[in-house]
Amino acid sequence: MCDRFRLAAEAVGAVIKHFSCIGEARDYLMGIAGGGAVSCSTLPTHLRDALAIDASGTAVPADAVLCISRAEAGIAATGSLLIDLKGPEGRAATALAPIHAVFLDPTTIVPTLYDLGERLNRMLTSGDQAYFSLTTGPSRTADIERVLTIGVHGPIELHILMIEGCCHE
Amino acid sequence: MSNATIQNKINDTFLRRALKNFAAAYPVARAKAFEGVDFEALRSRIAQNKQIALQQMPDLIARFTASAERTGAKVHFCRRPEDARAVMLEIIRSKGADFLVKSKAMTSEEIDLNHYLEANGVRCLETDLGEWIIQLAGERPSHMVMPAIHKNKEDVAELFSKATGSDCPPDIPFLVQKARETLRSGFLEGQVGMSGANVAMADSGALAIITNEGNGRLVTTLPRTHIALIGVEKIVPSMTEALDVIEVLPKNATGQKLTSYVSFIKGSTGGDGHELHIVLLDNGRMDLAANPDFGQALQCVKCGACANVCPIYEIVGGHVFGHIYVGGIGLVLTPFFHGMDKAEEILKLCIGCRKCNEVCAAKIDIEGLIVDLRDKIRKPFGQTFMFGTMMKNRTLFHTTLRAAYLAQKPLQGDGGRIRHLPLMFDALAAGKSLPPIAEKPYRDLVQEKRFSSQKERVLFYSGCLADFVYPELCMDTAESLERLGYEVVFPKKQSCCGIPARYSGEMDVARDMARINLDVLLEQEADYVVTICPTCSISLKHDFPKLLAKESDYHAKAEKLAAKVFNYSELVARKIDFDSAQPTDGSLSGVEGRTIITYHDSCHLKRGCGVFEEPRTVLTGLVGAQIREMTDCDKCCGFGGSYSLKYPEIAREVLLNKIENIKATGTTTVAVDCPGCRMQIEGGLEAVGANLRVEHTASLVAQSLRRG
Ligand code: SF4
Ligand code: SF4
Repeated sequence: MCDRFRLAAEAVGAVIKHFSCIGEARDYLMGIAGGGAVSCSTLPTHLRDALAIDASGTAVPADAVLCISRAEAGIAATGSLLIDLKGPEGRAATALAPIHAVFLDPTTIVPTLYDLGERLNRMLTSGDQAYFSLTTGPSRTADIERVLTIGVHGPIELHILMIEGCCHE
Repeated sequence: MSNATIQNKINDTFLRRALKNFAAAYPVARAKAFEGVDFEALRSRIAQNKQIALQQMPDLIARFTASAERTGAKVHFCRRPEDARAVMLEIIRSKGADFLVKSKAMTSEEIDLNHYLEANGVRCLETDLGEWIIQLAGERPSHMVMPAIHKNKEDVAELFSKATGSDCPPDIPFLVQKARETLRSGFLEGQVGMSGANVAMADSGALAIITNEGNGRLVTTLPRTHIALIGVEKIVPSMTEALDVIEVLPKNATGQKLTSYVSFIKGSTGGDGHELHIVLLDNGRMDLAANPDFGQALQCVKCGACANVCPIYEIVGGHVFGHIYVGGIGLVLTPFFHGMDKAEEILKLCIGCRKCNEVCAAKIDIEGLIVDLRDKIRKPFGQTFMFGTMMKNRTLFHTTLRAAYLAQKPLQGDGGRIRHLPLMFDALAAGKSLPPIAEKPYRDLVQEKRFSSQKERVLFYSGCLADFVYPELCMDTAESLERLGYEVVFPKKQSCCGIPARYSGEMDVARDMARINLDVLLEQEADYVVTICPTCSISLKHDFPKLLAKESDYHAKAEKLAAKVFNYSELVARKIDFDSAQPTDGSLSGVEGRTIITYHDSCHLKRGCGVFEEPRTVLTGLVGAQIREMTDCDKCCGFGGSYSLKYPEIAREVLLNKIENIKATGTTTVAVDCPGCRMQIEGGLEAVGANLRVEHTASLVAQSLRRG
């Protein structure tokens, strides 16, 4: 399943990295941020704390170079990530930053969209408001001469960071 | 549609190349995206669920409204486009705003929102790259999913240079980057954001938006007010039905497994002071949903696939083939959304090949709806005489055809084919030469007889074209069937199947023809009624019962006949199976010495009757040929009955594509199962000087059986 996910995600231009601990991931993230501002506002607190990225979540979304999120689940057939985007600031950051990095626990990967149906339904029917997204690869367009071009409005790079257990506190 | 406009598009070399490349790339990408997915099951489910939803539309609207309002969203139901425009202006004004940032919504094009808002002092900015290009050019989308497919990078560079005041080179990555930078300030400054939605769920009041660029998320998040403009047919009961739409749409639209972003939005989640307004647009949808004949058009999920595969769209593009909504479904929706006056001309542009039906994500009978809508068009002068008086009167019709034999004599060139026709008929010969009407039609060459033996009985229904132009094909048919052990009778009172009348919107005439033929074909008990023209088969098998649905006695007769109708290859292929005297497994098809032929699938045989294996079985198993398939073997040849007369420029281009594919196989024979395709392809090959023969499968079978 993990391999199918990887194939599908790479086919749409995502970068996939496996890490054994948060510390390793942190170094990687620092590397891709290249010293630029980082937004962590969609990250659950335990991950934010574990990463201990300075000034995380305080950057104005429009200025962040890197936005870090966590996926609730993955879809193997399409290489998609289910990301909860209820907070408007974090949501804006995921759409504005040129680089989007998403933690994914490989044990949460399901075979197809339909296997997430129950869960999506719960997310929509419980609570008054909701905003979440299935993200599949970086932002793309083929509107000029049908030439596929990456990064029109949203992220130009999508990095998927696989760490087992990263979803649990 | 003026022929000059059409010619213009045909001469637009960039448009032609863009659409041709897309037409070639799309099926490959689509097939890959659907790998491991049961498309038929998926679309059947969508069709079924949508059907139920349409029947419950008022209830679904009420449920969705209640759920959405529970989340804090405001729902505005708008009956007419002007209501929706006014409501949206009102919302914008109430925020003291004058700047609207938009992501893609066909509904906005449908109600021509931008012009109205701009005239009322609201600046509108389209942020979908394709839509922005179109907005800058002051045009309308030429495709539902790829609005600017008709623009090349030079056009875009020029538009961007003008819009940004800086010189933009025609370099695609540069232009995309430029759009990113330029539009970004729009997201940050826009006071109100507008989106459409691909699906709305009644149980939760949530919306799902399917996009690639990421602008959807920005316009729904950054501005303090979000307006979603949604056609009421987008409402489904729950997530269960929504998932199917999300599963099918990207695959069918662009051959993507999933788009970059599918956003689910329930209520306002934009923080303090953020509002969500949902504008539900009716614009004739509720009436259409309740319309038993045309309601299924609203099953459409707007994937655009019907345009992607349409041979006519490929030649003229969406500015000709459609109004606001383009492609096959555009032809169907236009009369309901924008009025019959906008639809009359475009409805005639469909050639009836049914490619669209084959790929439709919602299993809509698009082609059938187009044909049925033609009934409602004002009839051109002279047409009513032609169909009403002449076609209904078999003797008069056949006498006229005979007279045509004499009239054409002076026009025949070498080999008896017609190259020059007087005046208006000249158009028919564009790009091809025409076969002459035969001196003696088949009906004059056979004896009228009744069944007399114990053999299986075949009534032969030839169709007008074969009867009057290819009598030798009719002889081949009868002879080969007899050699295969059938007794064959040709009832001379058979008349035109009525399709030309039906395709021209003369339903009453078509009904008359149906009754006449039913009486003739049921007069003697036969086991089979065999046709050599798949268009006739469709008429006999599918149209007669439909046309006469309200006349119980004739409807029963139509059903009885339908059960007996077989295309020639269908019946003959059975013979091979039963006797198993000839190998059909294709094991011989690589053997040396076999004639290599290529096969053209007639639209009406493959997609009208679902027959495409049988002719191949017959050709390899009975004729002993080896088939070398051509590219796009099942794509229309451009004949389409009187289509080549009405739109010779388009038909010619469709034909040239076919000829190119045939020539590329390097074979010397093209087999077909339709006399219309034979005539069209034969003429096209001759006009380009290609030395290939075109044969109906029946003739190849007869020749092979004669050789023994
Ligand atoms: S039937 Fe053929 S020509 Fe007509 S809309 Fe469909 S694809 Fe186009
Ligand atoms: S009619 Fe069918 S193929 Fe055409 S856009 Fe609608 S769903 Fe897609």
